[in-house]
Amino acid sequence: MPGELPPAGATWSERRRRALADPAMRAAVAKSTRSLADKKEAAFAAYPAGEAMRKRAVIARRGSLARLDTLLDELTRQIEARGGHVSRAAGPADVGRYVLDVARQRGVGRVVKSKSMATEEIALNEQLEEAGLHVRETDLGEYIIQLAGERPAHILVPASHKTRQQVRTLFDEEATRCAVSPPTGDATAELTAFARRQLREDFLAADMGISGGNFLVAETGTLVLITNEGNGRMTTSLPRVHIAVVGIDKIVATWMDLHDLLQQPALSGTGQRLSTYTTFITGPRREGELDGPEEFHLVLLDNGRHELLGSEFEDVLACIRCGACLNVCPVFRTIGGQAYGSMYSGPIGVVLTPLLGGLDRAPELPKSACALCYACADACPMEIELPRHILALRRTEIERSMEPWTVRLTFELWGRFWANPAGFRFTGRMARLGQRIYMRDGRLQGAPGLVGGWTATRDAPPLARESFHEWWRRRRRASRAGT
Amino acid sequence: MRAQLFVTCMVDLFRPRAGVAAVELLERRGVEVEFPGGQSCCGQFAYNAGHQGQAAAMARQLVRAFEDGATDGPPAEHPPVIALSGSCAAMIKHEMPELLERDALRRGRTQATATRWRRRAEALADRVVELSEWLDSQDTESSAGIEATGAEPGRSTPLKVANHTGCHMRRLLGITESPLRVLRRAGAEPIELTDAEQCCGFGGSFGLLEPDISAAMADAKLANLAAARRDGATCLVSSDLGCLMQLGGRLSRNGEEFPMLHLAEAVDLADRRRLTPGEIECAAHSQEADPDAR
Repeated sequence: MPGELPPAGATWSERRRRALADPAMRAAVAKSTRSLADKKEAAFAAYPAGEAMRKRAVIARRGSLARLDTLLDELTRQIEARGGHVSRAAGPADVGRYVLDVARQRGVGRVVKSKSMATEEIALNEQLEEAGLHVRETDLGEYIIQLAGERPAHILVPASHKTRQQVRTLFDEEATRCAVSPPTGDATAELTAFARRQLREDFLAADMGISGGNFLVAETGTLVLITNEGNGRMTTSLPRVHIAVVGIDKIVATWMDLHDLLQQPALSGTGQRLSTYTTFITGPRREGELDGPEEFHLVLLDNGRHELLGSEFEDVLACIRCGACLNVCPVFRTIGGQAYGSMYSGPIGVVLTPLLGGLDRAPELPKSACALCYACADACPMEIELPRHILALRRTEIERSMEPWTVRLTFELWGRFWANPAGFRFTGRMARLGQRIYMRDGRLQGAPGLVGGWTATRDAPPLARESFHEWWRRRRRASRAGT
Repeated sequence: MRAQLFVTCMVDLFRPRAGVAAVELLERRGVEVEFPGGQSCCGQFAYNAGHQGQAAAMARQLVRAFEDGATDGPPAEHPPVIALSGSCAAMIKHEMPELLERDALRRGRTQATATRWRRRAEALADRVVELSEWLDSQDTESSAGIEATGAEPGRSTPLKVANHTGCHMRRLLGITESPLRVLRRAGAEPIELTDAEQCCGFGGSFGLLEPDISAAMADAKLANLAAARRDGATCLVSSDLGCLMQLGGRLSRNGEEFPMLHLAEAVDLADRRRLTPGEIECAAHSQEADPDAR
């Protein structure tokens, strides 16, 4: 059984149309992705140790996946020994139920959250809000997205598709709602000052903090959080209760493994050597400690992950959510993240969305959101074979007859004719005759079938009057006649 | 030396001139060119669209075509297969052995048969070399009887040409410098586009399924090409006809023109000291196999 992801919201053609008709978004995405990709390259170039570490990190991640169940048991023992609670969740409903139970028992009304893809995946905010809880995202990008009522458009920088002017408008509206003074301008400092002031109140009023987790260290039961804004620390230390919702794939065996991994999200994601804040959380506040939550809960999310173990797709579980594949993807640069209809966009989203949510939920992603340029394969620090997986998903769609019969027939006939030399030459001659119908001013236009997809936006040159095969035979005949 | 030419289906049908240019430039370098008549398509389009059965049928035919009369005797004596596309060469080298093995098993053949198909594909893959890579290796070892070429006689500054290296050639074959060196040796000054490593949007079945996204990607590439034109580029050269058809087709739809040449055509013109703006324009406009049929 795959897991369950929130619905895409709109059809592929509608999402695509909206994306292509939004030049401001596309320009913002092109700019931010190029900048992040350049920073990654510069970071590795200036730090040779980072590359050696990356290679060890790949081995650490793959090794952890190979004994995932054992490590999960070890992690659970360690956390429970330190007074924390661990729960396993098969899917979205399990997490929602668990968090709401804890909230009810502890009289929680207000929740602050730090950035977490796992909670996006299970639409946790919606579940909590439906139950009457007040939920506030505290990562700046997530805060912007929450105010806009959108989903993150990028795994790492969720609001990178928004311009500063758009952010200011959102903040102005929020100021009116809360009856506070709006940002003094749309400079970055003025916008962040507004968010900081607003979020500070939310942190102080919150009863529960919900975080994700970048890594889990099995040997000590430690949750590792990497952030650049410090909001993760406030979320996990100010409120009375801390719940971390983390995918089972985030586990590593030892601190030595973590040592090799810790810098990788920053190096590949933002081009930093290390993110600004690295937080290690091992259980709740202990006796004699002044800070920290009274209760610590870890919810281990499966949602289709366990099924990938041992499959040809296992390596996608090694993903560290750095976003490097998004930043180099020409399709992502062209349509932005919202068009994918999933919190996981870009190449990893093309693979992960159907693997976690089922191919029926996103049949368009493998065939329509990838030009098979292999840029993601080069960019992925965890060496996940994204193009190979995309090809495998395309094959699965064909095998499951998810294509229209006309397309199927075209390929059937094409394969049959082109698999023998006479058939190949015959189709060439036929096409040469047939193209006359669609010739306008020496260019092919408005052709039928698959070719129609080409001529919708591009001209096609006509087929040459004499193919290379024909030229070669004519030349050979001429040379024979000459000798 | 002997070499077999793999022209690719697209060059065969749409731009046979590139094949003719390749024959001429190879013969000029003392190569005895063979053209196995059984070749059609490497199957990449069908393969990338997920139709592995059809792709495998075409791939098996390609393997057979190049074995014909070329693989008797020890492997060291098997002639190289010079491919006029980085992308098709990558399909053969990167995907074909696994595809043929998997497809044989899928069709209920024995593991021994499947392994045999893998070996045959691997033998072909070992012989395949992309044209610019071949030229690069040959011309370094010896000038192969070609005098240092150059553009037109008497021209002092090299002619600027924009270069586009396709994604599969760049990433799967790891070829980035060869076309640039070959163009320089041909007396031209290659210009790499800004964001050279970004895809042109062709993408096989992707480009047909998603004409609007594909065209937007082409437009981004064309904007960078326009910058190269302002810097004096006289044409766009690529070792992949697919990219040229994508960019040329989009440019034409946008109501503009700019000469685009396959690398074989550019080198052939340079060999004949005809790498001049006028001759480039002429060559780009006439797509017929026979240069006399302009």
